[in-house]
Amino acid sequence: MRNDRLLEVWNDTVDGHHLIGSLIIGGAVSLGAFQAAEWLLGMFIDDPRMARTYAMLFGIIGCVVGGAICAYLFRPKREVVEDTVDTENLQGVLAALYADYGSRGGVEDLPEAVRSELRELELEEAFLVYERDHAQGDAVALAEHDLGRAGREGVKS
Amino acid sequence: MMDALLAQLPVALGMGIIGAVVFSAIGLISGSDETTTIAPLTLLVVLIGVPPAGVYTFFLAGAVSKHMTHAVPTALLGIPGDTMATPMMREANYLRQLGVPHIALRKMISGGVIAALIAVPVTVVFALLLAPFGGFVQHTAPYLFLIAALAIAYFSPGRWAAVLALGPFVLIIVALQNLTAAHGVKLGVSYFLGIAIGPLISDLFLVLSPAERARRKRDRPARFSLAPDVKRWSGYFPNPLKVLDSRQTSWTIGTAVASSLTFVFSPVAMTVIMGEVVSSRIRHVYHRLTTTLAVRNGVTESTYIAEALIPLMAFGLPLSPVAAGPAAPLFNAPPRFTVDSASGQVNNLHNLLGTWEFLVYGLLAVVLALLIAYPFSMNYARRAASFVSRNISHEAIIGTFVGLILVIGLWEGGLLGLLVVVTVGLVGGFLSRLLGFNIGVQFMGFYIAVLTVPALTALL
Repeated sequence: MRNDRLLEVWNDTVDGHHLIGSLIIGGAVSLGAFQAAEWLLGMFIDDPRMARTYAMLFGIIGCVVGGAICAYLFRPKREVVEDTVDTENLQGVLAALYADYGSRGGVEDLPEAVRSELRELELEEAFLVYERDHAQGDAVALAEHDLGRAGREGVKS
Repeated sequence: MMDALLAQLPVALGMGIIGAVVFSAIGLISGSDETTTIAPLTLLVVLIGVPPAGVYTFFLAGAVSKHMTHAVPTALLGIPGDTMATPMMREANYLRQLGVPHIALRKMISGGVIAALIAVPVTVVFALLLAPFGGFVQHTAPYLFLIAALAIAYFSPGRWAAVLALGPFVLIIVALQNLTAAHGVKLGVSYFLGIAIGPLISDLFLVLSPAERARRKRDRPARFSLAPDVKRWSGYFPNPLKVLDSRQTSWTIGTAVASSLTFVFSPVAMTVIMGEVVSSRIRHVYHRLTTTLAVRNGVTESTYIAEALIPLMAFGLPLSPVAAGPAAPLFNAPPRFTVDSASGQVNNLHNLLGTWEFLVYGLLAVVLALLIAYPFSMNYARRAASFVSRNISHEAIIGTFVGLILVIGLWEGGLLGLLVVVTVGLVGGFLSRLLGFNIGVQFMGFYIAVLTVPALTALL
């Protein structure tokens, strides 16, 4: 999807024209609901203050309706890919992880409950392989080597 | 006492269910900050005259549910569900890359369940211990707010810049209040909404400016990978004590108790700190990731409960960042609930509910949230995350919040109210972005303007 109107607003991507459309629709529907409710309820409720409060309720419902209309009209600008775990890079991820947090003790020292959790997740082997290959000293060197690539992918936030 | 409890039970139950359902859904939508969603809806519930117990269960069940379902986008999409979810992004991302995002999700939610259950009784006991000082606190409230604001500012990302920026920020609010008072308009929620939604308002202004818009151009949509989910238990209601191992459970309980006692600090800061304290004590890196997530999400629940309930029960004054922000309508929702700045007189849930009601309805609200949000997010997390990310565009979310700004601003103060929301949002949004003068500090700045400034000028 190629689009030269894409902008980053409030931590996500939007289409500039769609954003303007959403502002107009969101504003018009919510305000319309609020004003119409205030006018209509004013005829039935004696206390104008309560009428106005209930009108606010309709205004908030209007916000949600406006949002729903925008969601229907404007599709998300997100590429959502179904993740398949890239097990080849698992050792790279582990390198970034160990470099980031450090680890005292290996899988063997874990309580049995945690170890069997790792085993169920089919991760125990990967951790064991990593720990065997990077016993103490060279763990740091390899972590630094891999950190460039895996680290960038590792922490996006 | 039993009669009073039973009389309000149906409304407490009904409102708690509504709160839990509504905020379970809102929690799935990233960017739905607590203050912008919980504060206006709670205000609405207060003003349409729902009995006190219903107001209380609505708020509490809503907040607890939201902090469970916010784990869904955080774990599965790598987008923080709301402000409180940001400290969990790093650990959640690593587990996603290891191919086990469902573990991140389950550890977070189970930690939340345990912490929420612990936090209510601990909070009630602590509030009872503090209650004898209530008179003193109400008497000296204007100065306590000043001290709390300075402390919260210093511990914000802005440090001294935030402390010094409090002066001009308070001045702006005092000036706006005098301006609206001259036209017979008195505003409260408009300030909260402006502060909470400031980052959106300032961003909308920024993209209107050509130079900044060029910098914000993107040549492709944001890419998210939706992680697979694997169900590893039978039945509908997984046992949180089986999802966490014994060490994780005890750390979650310990930090929930500890963070209930530190109710005046920023909830995000407490979440970060408690996570670090525990993380440094866990030896193996995998165990560290999962334990940190359980503890951190637990703390998001316990700090929210404690920060809302302790000031409410013990003092009736909003003396914490949560009480001053998302929980503000429980304290101050004129004409129904009021805090008189001059006399320290309060008329809100503090007077309307007794200790047993706070405890019993508090537990009821948490249990309702657990029965609704917990199995929902455990069983349907992936489908919910997939639906939201594929069907709800960011434009639609922005349109909804802009509608909210218009309705609340115009409702409270007509055109003047709307202008105040936009002004506070624009200034607050920039101060937060550029100086690290974050939302919690801004809420405290608001209370200095309405409580401390009148008290000080009365002395002169």
